[in-house]
Amino acid sequence: MKTKTSLFVAGTVLANGLLISQLAHAATVEFWTAQTQTDRLQNIELLASTFEALNDGVTVKVVAVDENEMATQMAAAVAAGTTPQLIEVNSEIIMALGEEGIVDTKTHQGVIQDIGKSRFHKGALTTLTSPSGEYYGLPYHGFIQGIWYRKDWFDEKGLAAPNTWENIEKAAKALTDKANNQYGILVGTKQDSYTEQVFTQLALSNNASQFDANGNLVFNSPATLETIEYYKELAKYNPPGPQNWRARDYYLQGKMGMFFYSTYIMDDLALAEVAKGSLSSANFKELSGGTFDPELVKNTEFAPIITHKSAASYGTLSGLVALKAKSAEDTKATKDFIEFMYDPASYITFLHMAPGGMNPMLKGIAEDPAYLEDPNGVFKLYGADKMKQIVSGFDNLRSFSVVEGKTFPASGAIFAKSVIPRMIYSVTIEGKDPQAALNDAEAEMKSIIGQ
Amino acid sequence: MSSVLIKNESRLGLKLVAPAVGIIGLLVIYPILFNIYLSFFDVQLNGTKTFVGMENYTDLLGNPRYYHSIGVSVIYLIGTVAGTTILGLAAAILMNQEFRFRNLARGLILLPYFAPVISVVFGWQFIFDPVNGIYNHVVVDVLHLTDTRENLIGNPDSALFVVIIFDIWKHFPIAYLLFLAKLQSVPKDLYEAAAIDGQNAWGRFWHVTLPELRFVIATVVLLRIIWNLNRFEDVYLLAPNVETLPIFTYYQAFAGIVDQGVAAAISVIQLLVLVGLIWLYVRKVLKW
Repeated sequence: MKTKTSLFVAGTVLANGLLISQLAHAATVEFWTAQTQTDRLQNIELLASTFEALNDGVTVKVVAVDENEMATQMAAAVAAGTTPQLIEVNSEIIMALGEEGIVDTKTHQGVIQDIGKSRFHKGALTTLTSPSGEYYGLPYHGFIQGIWYRKDWFDEKGLAAPNTWENIEKAAKALTDKANNQYGILVGTKQDSYTEQVFTQLALSNNASQFDANGNLVFNSPATLETIEYYKELAKYNPPGPQNWRARDYYLQGKMGMFFYSTYIMDDLALAEVAKGSLSSANFKELSGGTFDPELVKNTEFAPIITHKSAASYGTLSGLVALKAKSAEDTKATKDFIEFMYDPASYITFLHMAPGGMNPMLKGIAEDPAYLEDPNGVFKLYGADKMKQIVSGFDNLRSFSVVEGKTFPASGAIFAKSVIPRMIYSVTIEGKDPQAALNDAEAEMKSIIGQ
Repeated sequence: MSSVLIKNESRLGLKLVAPAVGIIGLLVIYPILFNIYLSFFDVQLNGTKTFVGMENYTDLLGNPRYYHSIGVSVIYLIGTVAGTTILGLAAAILMNQEFRFRNLARGLILLPYFAPVISVVFGWQFIFDPVNGIYNHVVVDVLHLTDTRENLIGNPDSALFVVIIFDIWKHFPIAYLLFLAKLQSVPKDLYEAAAIDGQNAWGRFWHVTLPELRFVIATVVLLRIIWNLNRFEDVYLLAPNVETLPIFTYYQAFAGIVDQGVAAAISVIQLLVLVGLIWLYVRKVLKW
C-alpha cells in the first residue's frame, strides 16, 4: 500500500511538474547560432539569460551549429518537425532557405518597422531581400575580406601593396621559397566556402558575374575563364595540396607572406593568447618557426580592395532568420528576442565577441563610444583610422547574388552546393582544363536553378 | 499428426513471428517503400512534393561523377577488404603462437579499433600536414629523400591510398579478433596428423588452417564489404576529396540544401547494388 501511495504521489508531482514547467515557459525560442566557440557561446547564453530575466515565461535555448552544417541540420530539423524559432547564419544560406518557404517574413517585416528601415545599412538589407520584396532575413553583422600581408617582407623586397592582380602575383612569386618551407600566398583550393569567397572577390574585380540584371546565367564568360586561369597561377604559390582558411596558421608562424582572410583575423593577430590557441602544431617543438611573433600586428597590413578591371571589395553578412513557428506565443517571443538583440547594449556585447570581425548593420552603432571600447582593446591597438578604413569596404560591398540592386536567391542555392569550390579544386588540384571545368560548373548551375 | 494440430501449430507460429514481422515492417520495409516513392519527386523543405517521374534517376545516371565515384568505391572496397583480411589473418596466426607477453600483445593490437575515429583522424592529419607535419619533416629535412613537400592526404592521387591504409590499420583488429577466436578452436591433432603426413608449416596452413577458417573468412569479407560500401565518416573526415559512393551521395544530396528526391534515388540504386552483390557473393562464392 505504502509503495502504491508513494508511486501515486511521485506520479502526481511529476505530472504537475511537467504541467507547471509548460505553463511557466509558455514560449520557447530555440536559437541556432553559427558561433560555435566556447567563449562566444557563453556570451550568447548570457544575452539569452538576460532576456529570460526580462521576459517572464520565455525560454531561450541556444544551440551552436557549425556554419557548414547549418543547411543540412535545418533540413533534418524541418523534416523531423523540430524547426528552431530563430537562426543566425550567412546571407547565402539565408537566401537559399528563403526559397524553401520556411522563413517567417512577417516577423522580419515587423522588426524592420519597429526599428526603422532607414537605420539599417541599405546594401545589407538589399542582400537579404527576395525578388518579390520580402525580407528573408535581418542583417545582423558582417565582415570584409581582403589580403593581409607582411609589410616588412614587402618593403624588404621592394614589392607594392597587393591591391592589383599584377602586384599580387608578383609578390606571391617573390615570397615563395618552397625549399625552405616558405609560401607566398594562401588562396582556397579545398571544396569549401573559403575557396568561393576568395574566388568571388577576384571574379568581381574582373567584372565576371553569375547573373545579369535580367536574371540570365552568364557565368560561363571570358572574364570568368580569365579569373580561373589567374587563380590557378596564384595557387602555385600555395602551401602543398588542397588548402582552406585553416592554413592561416602558417602566416602566424611566419611561413607565409600573405593570405586572403576576413577582418575576423584582427583579434587573432592582435592577441598573443588567441594566436597561441590556434598554433596547435607548435607542440612539435623540434619544428622551426612555431612561436608567436608579437611584432606581427605592426608588420601586418590589410588590402581590402582588389582592382583589375574594376575595384572590388568583398564581404559576407550574417543575419537573423525567424522561422515559421506553430505557436503564436513562440512567434511573438522570437520577435521580442530579435528586437532585444538589436538593442544597443546587447548588440554591442554581441559584436565585441569578434572586434573587427563582426561589424554592425545598424547605423550609429559604430560611432557609439561603448562600441569603440572593446574589452580586449583591439580597436585601440589598430587605431580609429585603420578601423575606419576597414569598415569603409562596406560601402561598396559586392556579391554574386546582387546585380544592380536586384537579388538573385538562386545564387544562394548555387553557393550551398559548392559548385564554384569544386570547379576551383578540379582546376588547381586535379589539373583539369579551366574551360572544361567552367563548362561543367555552368551545367551544374543550370540544373540547380532549373534553367 | 492430425490436420487440426498442424493448423494450430502454424497459427501459433504466425502469432510468434508477428511482432518481429511488425517491427521489421515498420522500421525497414516502410522506410524502403517510402524512399522509393520519394525518389520520383522533387521535395521542398516545407514538405511540398512535385512529381518529376524518372528525372532524379536520369540526372544521376547522366552524371559522370557518379561513375567516377563507383570506380573509386571499387578500388576502396578491394583494397580495404583484402588488406584487413590478410593483415587480420597474419596477426591472428602470429598471436596464436606461444610467446612471452602474448596477452599484452593481443590486447594492444585491438587499440586502433577502439580509438575514436575523430581523434585518430586528427592525429593522421597532423602527421601528414604539408608544412608542419612530422612526415615531411623526416622525409625532407632529416633524411633529405626529396626536396618537395607532399600533401599526401590532400593530393587526390595519393589520398585514396592513404584512406585505404587508414581503414586497414583501423579495422584489421576486428578481422583478427574473429580469426583468433576460430583458430583457438582448431584441434591440435589435425596439425599433428598433417605433420606426420610430412607437411611443412606452409602445407599445414594451406591444408588445415585455411579450410578450418573458410567460413569465418567468408563472414569477415561479407561484413567488410557491407560496412565499407557504406563507410562514410572515416573517409569524409580524413580526405573529403576521395569521392566514394557515400561521399558522392552526401555532396549530391545532403550538402547545402538537402535534395531529398535525389538522395532517395541514389539510395534506391545503392540498395539494389548492395543486395545484388550480397546475393552473388552468398550464392556463388559461399555456396550457402
